[in-house]
Amino acid sequence: MNPAIAIAAFAAVSIATAAIGFHGLRISRTTGDFYVASRTVRPWWNASAIGGEYLSAASFLGVAGLILLSGTDALWFPIGYTAGYLMLLLFVAAPLRRSGAYTIPDFTEARLDSRVVRRVTSAVVVIVGWLYIVPQLHGAALTIRATTGLPSWVGPVAVVIVVCLTVVAGGMRSITFVQAFQYWLKLTALAVPVIFVLLVLAGNGAQPVAPAAVNPTGQPPGGLYQNVSLLVALLFGTLGLPHVLVRFYTNPDGQSARRTTLIVLGLLSLFYLFPTALGMAARMFAPELASTGRADAVVLLMPGYLVGGVAGELLSALVVAGAFAAFLSTTSGLVVSLAGVISQDVLDGSVRGFRLAAVLSALVPLGFAFLTDSLALAGSVGMVFAFTASTVCPVLLLGIWWRGLTDIGAISGILTGALLCGGAMVAGAFLGAGDTPVWLAQPAAWTVPAAFAVMVLASRATRGRIPRTLTRVMTRLHTPERPLSTSR
Amino acid sequence: MTRVRVVAPRSSARTTPERAESAEQTEVGQLFVRSLIRSQLRLAVVVALGFLVILGAFPALLALVPGLAETTVAGIPFDWLMLGIGLYPVIGLSAWLFVRAANRNEARYRDLADDR
Repeated sequence: MNPAIAIAAFAAVSIATAAIGFHGLRISRTTGDFYVASRTVRPWWNASAIGGEYLSAASFLGVAGLILLSGTDALWFPIGYTAGYLMLLLFVAAPLRRSGAYTIPDFTEARLDSRVVRRVTSAVVVIVGWLYIVPQLHGAALTIRATTGLPSWVGPVAVVIVVCLTVVAGGMRSITFVQAFQYWLKLTALAVPVIFVLLVLAGNGAQPVAPAAVNPTGQPPGGLYQNVSLLVALLFGTLGLPHVLVRFYTNPDGQSARRTTLIVLGLLSLFYLFPTALGMAARMFAPELASTGRADAVVLLMPGYLVGGVAGELLSALVVAGAFAAFLSTTSGLVVSLAGVISQDVLDGSVRGFRLAAVLSALVPLGFAFLTDSLALAGSVGMVFAFTASTVCPVLLLGIWWRGLTDIGAISGILTGALLCGGAMVAGAFLGAGDTPVWLAQPAAWTVPAAFAVMVLASRATRGRIPRTLTRVMTRLHTPERPLSTSR
Repeated sequence: MTRVRVVAPRSSARTTPERAESAEQTEVGQLFVRSLIRSQLRLAVVVALGFLVILGAFPALLALVPGLAETTVAGIPFDWLMLGIGLYPVIGLSAWLFVRAANRNEARYRDLADDR
């Protein structure tokens, strides 16, 4: 496609993002505004913002690319991404909001009354955030390479600059508006081209080149273990993602946190219909895109490939805009939550410290992104889910629902999960994608139970260390907010 | 105008809100809280298990019924329809039922705690 159109699309998204970000500057005034928008964001806004933040490069580009490559096996990715929110709603949403904490480390410290637990959780949260930003930057590099012909590094650098400017300017308040806007932008940017492509295909009576069941790559299907392990990672990984959790603090109370999550589920289900449809259309009408080794670019290439002409160029521009909205929104959401953690734990918790931490949390993954190479986007994000599911998820679930959890138990469980899952990731990176056995490539099915088991056993062994604040904290987590005394 | 240094309230989760005082200080209050937690956990586990059973039933059905995966509806294979579209309403319905029941549990708790 014409490089000028892609660059214009990226510039338009960046300017719109920055404009909404700076508009928010006039509203945010206090530290509370900066961190969590003073907890006054309405459910619809908040739900759109959560959707905007959650739909990353993996969802926008990766899902369709993976469907093109591996067919129905890949359909488990969008299902897992969505059902993860169901688990979050069932087990975490309302109690976490009621805990009144700003970040995951705040929660674990309050629940277990221990600074050491806080430090360990903070370290894990920062690792998760950085790991999750890297694929976003890879996505930006891929998009720039596939659509403009500029060198790849331009994409990640541009994303980091725009994110730093927005976050430093407005903090969370303006981020909420930016994210909400970007959900609807992403939905439009995918829905319009997909509907157009399908209409064109139906209109000119094109015959499918291959039935959907035919595999364009010759890779063997995933098998039961792979799908189950992937679902474990996605179902239990979502509720530990730092940028997702921080959004729940901006709900006014626990019940609205639930209502928000319900709306999020609707928004995600609606969104995933489109990459699914596009991936399937690509498999049937353009299976040769899979063999170019750039399956992740299928969303970007399909409109130009099948529609062509000026209409194709315009649709491509829209898709590029949506893709950059995905990189920008997820990266800025992660940067905000990482900056919150770093500035409170390492710096002094001031607005200045927050800004400094924000720049720091964006630059480190930029370095990583230059050092590493882009794998399948949906797959590398799936590994991050496995890591959160093995570390943050057990401490959240047991902390909210089990009175027996102790500080020693939490730390041993988190470290077990981090070592096992991190070890599997490193081993997989050394062995290379082709030679990694499936139990190392998808480790969640055994690392998550192991982390839970160690956490429970170590807590049992250190029963005497159950915090004295337990009763107060559990009451606070689970009782509805309205003051009990008013009606008496 | 003087410049004021704004600093994050550290660990705000530690401060005890007024609302919880009566609930946590009396034995009866704690009894109600424990029973609320138990019923919320039971509800969450039941909904999660129900969803997982349906989730597992989809591929099981495809594997067990011969020819079902190859059946096409309007040109789209049945397994694509089931996994690509069919599961999302199940997720939404589970979530909606859970929110209703969870709010009902809380309303019941409030009634109990207020009557005391």
